[in-house]
Amino acid sequence: MPLKISTSGVAALIRKLSETGRTVFAPVSRGEFTDFDRVSTLEEADLSRVNTRSSVKRLFFPPTEPVLSFALDGRRVALDELPPAVPRTFVVFGCRPCDAAALPILDKVFSWDCDDRFYLARRAAGTIISIACTDCDDACFCTALGLAPDSAAGSDILLTPFEDGYIVDPCSDKGGALAKACRELLGECAADRAEILRAVRKKLPPPMDLNAIKVWLDRHFDDDHWRNASFKCLGCGCCTYLCPTCHCFDIVDEADSRRGLRRRNWDSCQFAQFTAHASGHNPRPVQAARWRQRIMHKFSYYVDRFGTRSCVGCGRCIRSCPVQMDLKHQLKGIETQARGDRKRR
Amino acid sequence: MKELQARAHELLASGEVAAVIGYAAGTVAGRATPVIITKPADASSLILDASCVNNLAVYLLRPEVRRLGKVAVVAREAAIRAIFVLMQENQLAADGVVIIGVAIPSPGDIPAEPRLLPGRTRDELLEHLKRAAVPRPDAPAEDETGRMSDAERWDYWRRQFAACIRCYACRQVCPMCYCSRCIVEKSRPQWIETSPHERGNFAWNITRAFHLAGRCVECGECERACPAGLPLMKLNRVLARHVREKFDYVAGTSFEGEALFTGFRPDDPDDFTR
Repeated sequence: MPLKISTSGVAALIRKLSETGRTVFAPVSRGEFTDFDRVSTLEEADLSRVNTRSSVKRLFFPPTEPVLSFALDGRRVALDELPPAVPRTFVVFGCRPCDAAALPILDKVFSWDCDDRFYLARRAAGTIISIACTDCDDACFCTALGLAPDSAAGSDILLTPFEDGYIVDPCSDKGGALAKACRELLGECAADRAEILRAVRKKLPPPMDLNAIKVWLDRHFDDDHWRNASFKCLGCGCCTYLCPTCHCFDIVDEADSRRGLRRRNWDSCQFAQFTAHASGHNPRPVQAARWRQRIMHKFSYYVDRFGTRSCVGCGRCIRSCPVQMDLKHQLKGIETQARGDRKRR
Repeated sequence: MKELQARAHELLASGEVAAVIGYAAGTVAGRATPVIITKPADASSLILDASCVNNLAVYLLRPEVRRLGKVAVVAREAAIRAIFVLMQENQLAADGVVIIGVAIPSPGDIPAEPRLLPGRTRDELLEHLKRAAVPRPDAPAEDETGRMSDAERWDYWRRQFAACIRCYACRQVCPMCYCSRCIVEKSRPQWIETSPHERGNFAWNITRAFHLAGRCVECGECERACPAGLPLMKLNRVLARHVREKFDYVAGTSFEGEALFTGFRPDDPDDFTR
């Protein structure tokens, strides 16, 4: 029998978590949209939207973070490695399954050639309670990428809306421990999950042939496609900054004449400066090359290196692009070309 | 719409322009998308309706577009003003672009149909802007920041800027932000900190607004594009109002002569210019 929690049970859970010293993050209203912020009660959260404007990424990999401090000490320079500014333990409540699925993707790159102590400290401290989607919008395309409105990847507990509460699925050791700790708030229910998600599944797109897309990408690095596909792209960083899996960063030193901080800031492959060399040479001199990089990184390079694509189909890049560079549409275009190639061969 | 398509077709077929920048139906329902067409047959994909919001003048100085040769651009009133500023600032030659002027009425306007403007020359288009009272004299109404004390206003913008993630969408969609290297990208020294913290965000957003004083045509693209929801037009409108009140100057209402901050007079009452 599946576990169940009522809405008042969720309210009690959030209260209990914050009273026992855990920081709780949830989507809160910012007027036109929602974003993650600290809450201490369920009432402060706004769970009515398809998704938050920014992704859950920022709670694990913040837009700016000091990593090192330095100061002149007589004739020497004193260096001090800074610890990650992380709450001891925190809970993300109400993120969507696509955002949760982005975290195992980010884990790979942040524990690859070196262990990123900032990101990994947050991952260790954070527990993810996601809520399955019963609605979507035009930009959503998780199903095209092999995910689903109730994917459990990356979640510690997955909630699925049901009657006046949620079905509760613990999906990790952390989630199991939390469910155990709040056992008194849980009941049992007989719910048909497929029925609950039937309507939203109908609205979501069919799976794409991602292998064919990768094969096409690997063969068409030099292709007019990139120039044509990127003509209207203005090269802002909206898509990459809102993306739950984009993870590029810049390192900057900010100092006065005596002391300063070294910071890690988000950076974007869509900026002309991103690959500019000190010599003046830029290996990606035009927007077409930068747009190609974004697609290649997500659907080819990341697959080669880590065995997974770095896109979860959350649709944020589509929703927020000022000129409607529509990733879903672009992938469909590539899929069509890939099928054409296959027929010719 | 038919008129617009016919005009685009004629421009491409006659070879007068190499490309037409306009709007096409988007892949997201209810939203038009910018499109660049080079074949006369594609003129039929152009649309004109209330979903056509982008200021397409932003494309004119992009290297990818410049390489095409002479282009025509579908220009709403704000875009016409933006093109005039670019001409005044010597970024576009007088015959460097074919302006396809269009009017897309706001709800309640008469006539209510989106339409091609009859004028084709710069003078005719300028005449239209004057007749249609663009910018509208009643448009830049004072917002609540004008009634705040300095401390309240500082606090208001501190809260707003806290959300800025420095994606630079505001800059990239702005037809006036054409510097080949933006000051925020100058790192020797780093004049403006790139970190999205309070200091960096104030420095960026205030500098951006200042650089648009007397140049902003109030198209609102920066505010529309901002993923953090910053009310950037409140800053831009305050500057436009000061420019109008102090200098009797409205950006983009002339395509020749000195732009506001490019002129120098030996008899300037302020001695810092000497």
